[in-house]
Order: sequence, then C-alpha cells, then structure tokens
Amino acid sequence: MNNGKLKIGIYELTGCAGDALLILDCEKELLDIFKAVDIQSFLMASSDNRDGKLDIALVEGSVSTEREIEELKDIRERAEIVIAIGLCATVGGIQARFTDPNEWKKKYKEVYGDIEMTHTKPVQSKPIDAYIKVDYYLPGCPIGKEQFLDLFTRAVKGTLPERYPRPVCVTCKYNENDCLLNKGIPCLGPLTADGCGSICPNHNVPCFGCWGPVEGANLTSEYYLLKEKGFDIESIKKRMANYSGTKLIDFLKQFKKESK
Amino acid sequence: MKKISVDHLARVEGNGGISATIDGKVVSDVKFSIYEGPRLIEKLTIGLTPEEDVSMSPRICAICSLSHKNAVLRSMENALNIKIHPKSYLCRELMHMGEMVESHSLHTYYLSLPDYLGYPNAIAMASDFELEVKIALEMKHFANHIMKVLSGRYIHGENPIIGGFGTFPSRDELIFIKNRAIQFMPFVKKTVDLFCTLDYPDVPEKETIYACCEPGNSNYGFWGDEILLSTGEKFFRDDYQKLTNEFVVSHSYCKRSRYKGKPYSVGALARVNNLGERFKGETGKMYKKYFNKRWHVNPLFHNAAQALEISYCFERIPELVDEILKYEEDPKAVKYTAKSGKGTGLVEAPRGLLIHHHEITDGRVSLVDIITPTAQNAEDIERYCQIAAQKLLDSGKEDKIKERMELVVRAFDPCISCSAHMAEVTHTPSGSWKNKLEEIRKNSSPVYIGAGQQDRSDDACGIDIAQKLRGLGFKDVWLGSEIIRDDKLEGYTEKNTLVFFDAVDFNEKAGKITVLPLEYILTHSSISHKFVPFAASIKNLSLQKNAYVVGIQPDSVARGNKISPSVQKAVREILNHLRN
Ligand code: SF4
Ligand code: SF4
Repeated sequence: MNNGKLKIGIYELTGCAGDALLILDCEKELLDIFKAVDIQSFLMASSDNRDGKLDIALVEGSVSTEREIEELKDIRERAEIVIAIGLCATVGGIQARFTDPNEWKKKYKEVYGDIEMTHTKPVQSKPIDAYIKVDYYLPGCPIGKEQFLDLFTRAVKGTLPERYPRPVCVTCKYNENDCLLNKGIPCLGPLTADGCGSICPNHNVPCFGCWGPVEGANLTSEYYLLKEKGFDIESIKKRMANYSGTKLIDFLKQFKKESK
Repeated sequence: MKKISVDHLARVEGNGGISATIDGKVVSDVKFSIYEGPRLIEKLTIGLTPEEDVSMSPRICAICSLSHKNAVLRSMENALNIKIHPKSYLCRELMHMGEMVESHSLHTYYLSLPDYLGYPNAIAMASDFELEVKIALEMKHFANHIMKVLSGRYIHGENPIIGGFGTFPSRDELIFIKNRAIQFMPFVKKTVDLFCTLDYPDVPEKETIYACCEPGNSNYGFWGDEILLSTGEKFFRDDYQKLTNEFVVSHSYCKRSRYKGKPYSVGALARVNNLGERFKGETGKMYKKYFNKRWHVNPLFHNAAQALEISYCFERIPELVDEILKYEEDPKAVKYTAKSGKGTGLVEAPRGLLIHHHEITDGRVSLVDIITPTAQNAEDIERYCQIAAQKLLDSGKEDKIKERMELVVRAFDPCISCSAHMAEVTHTPSGSWKNKLEEIRKNSSPVYIGAGQQDRSDDACGIDIAQKLRGLGFKDVWLGSEIIRDDKLEGYTEKNTLVFFDAVDFNEKAGKITVLPLEYILTHSSISHKFVPFAASIKNLSLQKNAYVVGIQPDSVARGNKISPSVQKAVREILNHLRN
C-alpha cells in the first residue's frame, strides 16, 4: 500500500454504465472518496487513467468480447480483491438472457449478419465469475447507493460486508406496502434479492426482479405462496429469466427441487 | 503509414476509441470504434409482455434511461392505442427535464469544460473553479432529484408505466421542485454566458444535416410525432426509416445511419439549429445574443447548445409544475384491451433523436427496432474528426491531431452503451441500387468511370462496364487509369456526379450490386482502399462529395482474366439498366 491510501480501480465491461454512473452520483461523497483512496482507473470521470497494482478492483458489466476476457484476466492479476458490481457483472445482465449458445448465435446473426468484426470477437455474454474468481458480489440494476457506500467504506477499512440473503418482500413489509400479490399483480419480490428498498412496490408497481434471484432463500414457501394466490408458475419463471442471466439455471434447479 | 489512436476515450460514457491513419499527406481512415460487446437488446424482449419490455429496454443505457423509458412508453401506447391523462403527460415531461439537465450539466461542466480550460478532469479543475464545480454539482443533484421523484429512483426507475404512472409526486414535492428551479436561474444564465463564449477552435467546420423531433405548435420541446430536418423536410413517426437507413460496419458494434447517403447530426446542436427561433423568455434573449452562423458548421458548439437547453429547462420546470398542480386527482393508469398493434415513439434524448418501434402480436412483443442518437451521429463523428485531422496535418500540426479528435468526439457527447444497441440487419432490398442510380441520373449529369484491374478476374468488371458503355455510344465515360494519368476530370463541375464502377467486397453474395458514396468507401478501409488515389486526383472538392461507387461483390480477384458468371450477370444488369 502506498502512502496509506488504497488503490482502487473501477472498470466497465459491457453494460449500460449505470453502476459507474451511480458511483459518480454519490456526488457529495465522491470528492471525499477520491481523497480517501487513490483511484487508478475510472474511465468515465478522468482522462488520466493509470494502471498498475490494485488493492480493490470494482468491475461493472458482462464479458461479451474476447478483448474483455483479456482485460478481465489482467485486472484479476493486478488486484488483491475483485468485486463484481451490478447485474451485468454478477449474473451476466439482461444480455445473458439467452443461456443457450445456439440461440445466442442465431440472434447474433440476425442482428449483425455475417460481417466479421475487425477489432474484437464477440462472445456470449457471461458474468465475470465465468472467467475469474470473484471476492464479493454487489447486485442490482443498477446497484443501490446505500449498498455501495456501505461496501466501499468497509472495503476501505479492509473488511467486506456480509451478503444480503433476503428477498425484496422483507423490506417491502417493513415499508408497510399493501402486498401487490393480493391484488392479483404478479410481483417478483419473493424471489428477488433485497437491497433496493423495495422501490417498485413502494410506487405501486410490481418488482421485475432487477436485483437478480435471491440466494439461499427458502423457495419452498415462496413457491406455494405464488401458487396459492393463483399465479401461473410458468410465466413467473419466464419473467424471472429477464434479470437472472446465467444464474437462472441454478435458480430453476432449486425452484424445481422445492416445488416437488 | 502511421496510425494515431486513442484507445480509451476518457470522459466519454462507455468503452470506445477513435483512430486515424495517416498515409503521407492524407488522413485516409478515421474510425470511431465501440469496444463494448454486443447486447442484442432488441432480441431480448421478443416474446415478453409489453410491461416487461418497458422495464427492460431502458437498460440499454443508464445515462439516457428515462429517454428510453419515454420512448418505449410512447411507442407502446401508440401500438396499444392508449391516450394518457394530461397529468401523466405533463409529469413525463417534467421527468424528462430532469434527465436533460442532469446529462447536460454533467457533460458541459464535468466532461467538456476541463478540455477547454486545460485540466485533465473536473476534480483537478475544482481547486481553481471551486464555485462553478460546486454549483454544477448542485444542479446535477437537483436534476437527479427530479428524476428520482418522478421515476422512482435515479437510474432505471419503474414508476412510469404503460398508461401513466404507478404513483404521482405530492404537491409539496412539486412545489419544492418549482422553487428550487427558480433559485438556480442566476447560475443558469452564467452557464449560458460561459459556454456561449468559450473559444471553440474552428478546425472542424463543415455543413451537415440536422435532424430532431418536431414538437408541434411552434414550441421548443423534446418529443413529437414527426421528425424535422434542417432541409425543411418532415416525416411522420412511422416513416422514420426514411431518415435512418441503418447499416453495420466491421469496426464497431454500433450500427450506423445515413440520410440519402449523407451523414447527419442529432443532439442539442441539431435542436437549437432547427428550433432555436422558438425559444422564449430569457432563453430566447440569450439565443438571439449568441447564436450565429458558426453554430451551423462547428460541432464543438454542442456545448453552447446544451447550455441554452439547460436554461430552457429551468424556465420550463416552474411552468410545468403549475400546469401539473391544476390536476388535483391522481389519474389511474389507463387500462388497455388491444392485444396487437404497431407503434413508434420519438423522443429527444439529451444526445438527440431516439426512436423506439414495437410490434405486438397476441399480447407479446413480436418486433423491436431501437435507433439511438449515437448510432446516428457515428458517421458525422468520423467525418468531423477526419476533417479536423486533415486540416491539422495540412498546417503541420500533426501532434495536435489526437487531442483534437478527442475534443470533437467528446463534443458529440457520444454514449457508448447506447450505441452498442442492436437492430435487425436490413439487407439492401435487391433493386435499390437502381433507384439510387436513377436519383443520380435525374439530378445531375453523371460521369462514368471504370475502376479496377484488368488482370485480376472479377476486379476487371468496372473496366468492362466502362468499355461497353463507350461501345454503346455513352459520352463522359473514362477508365480509372486515364483519370489518374491525365486529369480528365478538369472541366466537370458540381452539376456532375462521378459514378465509379468497381468490384467491392461488402460481404455479400457474389454478383450482388450496391451503390455507396465515395466518401464512405474512403473512410472505411475494410471495404476498399484503392479509391484513395482517385480522391487525390479529384481536385474539385465538391466533385469528391458528389461521387458514388457502384460496387459488384466479386467472387474472386485472383490473378486471371475471366470474369465469373455471377459478376458477368451483374454487369449485364447494370448495362441494361443504364441503356433504358
Ligand atoms: S408487493 Fe411484492 S415485494 Fe412487496 S410483499 Fe408483495 S410480493 Fe413482496
Ligand atoms: S423492486 Fe425489484 S425491480 Fe424494483 S428496483 Fe427493487 S429489485 Fe429492482
């Protein structure tokens, strides 16, 4: 460590840049953050980005080209801790919805035809842990400010926070919302990782699942809950696919097991 | 040959680069590349419900997520035949103001100003311009607040839904927004003064076509049902493809657009050029004070135009709040019964015209076409960089090229995540080359030139066409070698159009015919580089602009003197067409 400051790199692979933008949006805190740590690479905010050994690398976006695989491996080699930030890095993002390689190839062709890309070859979108070891996951599309600052301040002090093994419903109940499921509106709150503050149900809009599937939750009860309320499990699963990326496969396995 | 390249464009949203190749005295090839991977967004939502699509498609881009939201909603509501309540309409406009101010203030103060004042970034600038940096941050923060209140959260909010909103802002929240907007006015005026008087280098000056939404009723605004061009032409929303004609290039996942073969620009500068006369109030006064002819030709004025738009938004926000407050009741989202339909939504995102088109069949999304501003600007970004680089090279300032190209790219405020959007490859419908040739013949007198090499099988097809045209008694027909050797083009004027015939590898089936502008071929080496010497021998620049290449996809260009049957057939087709 140099002059006591942590060296941090923030990198963007393929995505909507929402997480980097959200970090930029921690405006008030941002100037402090830049003082407390030494930001090595942050493509959106500065034109003098340097690279080198890092204490922490935050990686946003999915891996979608060969060049990105190389970049990612290089980041892993240089960084002590790698943190995946946002839905694209943690599950592959919405672009990882075609989990079947043949389907992806077909769609790719429909979009680009047979033109060979000269600068880098495309690969099917995957989360970063498909290629490297990841030390911590910060989900969300985009990540939430509270969760980010929480993580960042802890990371600066050398520890990482525990993960959030709860579904959106938990916070939604705290917020005393009328449950949308009771009104017959299909809400993915029970199956989705918490962290957003149940924003959508707070606005009377169902959760679309943008934090990705909740891990380690007891899916049995959720399954029966949805079924009891008369929801079509097939279209719920289909809707879950939108924001589950490649993690959908594990999720469905678990869901299926529970539903036996 | 030398290559100058900026691999990672700092302070540009996303991951992209710009490069120029210098060949002696000529900047032969400028490429604006997007390194971000393909996301196939338009394919992802096929088969989903309209609601799921409305949730997902703004994920194309976080920076313009609310513009995408407004565009997808307008498109869906047109497709499903929904008329939303006036309160919802006004709230969507207010929400849009939030995104416009946030994006413009970030871009002007944080991403562009450091360039003009000579700092590497805004943080470094903060020590000398503390007040500006601080208030600009406040302004952006306020804009984020508007976005959050209306859309649910700062990025990818789900509160705007088909038919209206989930919930509406309270009276107190609206009054707060109004009062805060008024407080900003003095700083807003300073912002306009600052950005309208910056010393914008005159390096990249050139005409272009500007396109934006026609807001209607002689108003300024950020959406409409028609597209307005600086040429005066207008298209109804469903006819947007007349403007955009997308195509793919091999150095970028970002698709490109040209209007009648020419690059065009969208964005704040396009809007101010097309609609600036409609500004009222303080903004109108400042527009009159600062707008001048250079704004027509210099893309660096994007920053000045953005400042004027910030001012427009700050004047419009209090008005909007008053109009919204007239409706006390919160309308329920309009329900719909339609199961199928087609619709288009036009919106002005901060970076320019954004088009969403959707088709719905049996309650499921069956077709999506999204055309983003950066995809439309990409061609002009390259063109202006090329002009800037060439001018610097001519005046011996080669060392400035890199920096200046970055400045040009940044002025366009390209958003690279939005350019990594995908649309269907529409292969040129067969026969469209005929229309193009007809257009050329109707509007000017063509000069035909056969290019290529006699001894390289299919590459001889251009020469073959020229010789046969001569045989048929056509005047103004030349061989490539004659032009380069003997200055045959002297005496032709801008009333003439140069039409080259050649074998061009554009990745198609052998024998397929296409018509491309020469300028396009010159800047895309992946297609063909042998036109560079021609360009050099066309001394009259307006002629160079008025030049096209009729290309036939070759089967083989190996050494040999036989033209393959498929290419022979294409040659006959072209001759038959020209004879009639
Ligand atoms: S509204 Fe959605 S998130 Fe809230 S409790 Fe019900 S299911 Fe859970
Ligand atoms: S409620 Fe669901 S869809 Fe809405 S922000 Fe939270 S996780 Fe995302």
